[in-house]
Amino acid sequence: MAAASQGPLPKGLVAVGAVLLCIGSYWGLAQAPGEIFMGDVQRIMYVHVPTAWNAMLALTFAFVCAVFFLFTNSWKWDNRLEAAMEMGVVLSLLLCTQGAIWAKPTWGVWWDWDPRLTTTAVMVFAFGGILALRAFVDDPMKRAVWSAVACIVAFADVPIVYFSVKWWNSLHQAQSTPATVSKAFHWPLRINAFGILFLWAGLVALRTRVAALRLRSEIAPPLPAPSARGTDARASGSAW
Amino acid sequence: MSGVIAGGWEYVIAAYAATAVVLGGYAASVFLRWRTERNRAATESGGGRTT
Repeated sequence: MAAASQGPLPKGLVAVGAVLLCIGSYWGLAQAPGEIFMGDVQRIMYVHVPTAWNAMLALTFAFVCAVFFLFTNSWKWDNRLEAAMEMGVVLSLLLCTQGAIWAKPTWGVWWDWDPRLTTTAVMVFAFGGILALRAFVDDPMKRAVWSAVACIVAFADVPIVYFSVKWWNSLHQAQSTPATVSKAFHWPLRINAFGILFLWAGLVALRTRVAALRLRSEIAPPLPAPSARGTDARASGSAW
Repeated sequence: MSGVIAGGWEYVIAAYAATAVVLGGYAASVFLRWRTERNRAATESGGGRTT
């Protein structure tokens, strides 16, 4: 199994991502100017917006893995799907937390059933539900096919989350793009975006190896009886 | 009421702290699971515990 092989790449990506996040956060907290209306509270944008971009990117990667799994039936795509969905759910939960913290001083409430927030909540519960239910399916092949199909269905919500602020005139502001954000805010935003990107790429690669090793022990043939162990056990181990 | 938000650093600190805790905690959990699975795989294949 190539996915279970060792290598320094995931740890390197995580380290680069962590360093970039530290630089971007320092820049956003200490160097970038405050926004004219929101003042210092706007500094939450430097972590909230990159988290949003990367949550949707991770879930898009999960969707790609689901499609590839259904076409190839290769376990590596199921392992990647599991890893990417978990990362996407973690980032989406973080996104909701940061959003609630930003909403309180700016909107006056922690949460509002605004279209952007509601569709994001649906996204979290849909992908979180798939991850939770994966644990209840014992047959690896059934679990993989079922999760891939469910992931493709759940992914329909991701573009709705993205376009919700364009389709409905809601409380949540429109997407932050280079055209809508002042140039003074660009660098911390971009550095943190790449920081989280490298971080989740490394973590998904490592989490994929965890999934591959678990699958390997799950579908490995049972060890022979103690009296028959020896050359047989080594032979069965070498099949991997 | 000027329409400008004054202060609010406690919210900024809370958001950055939540980011550090969630991303750091998840990264730690992935590394721990990776180490556990790797050691288990090494034990099952007869190679003993690896560090």
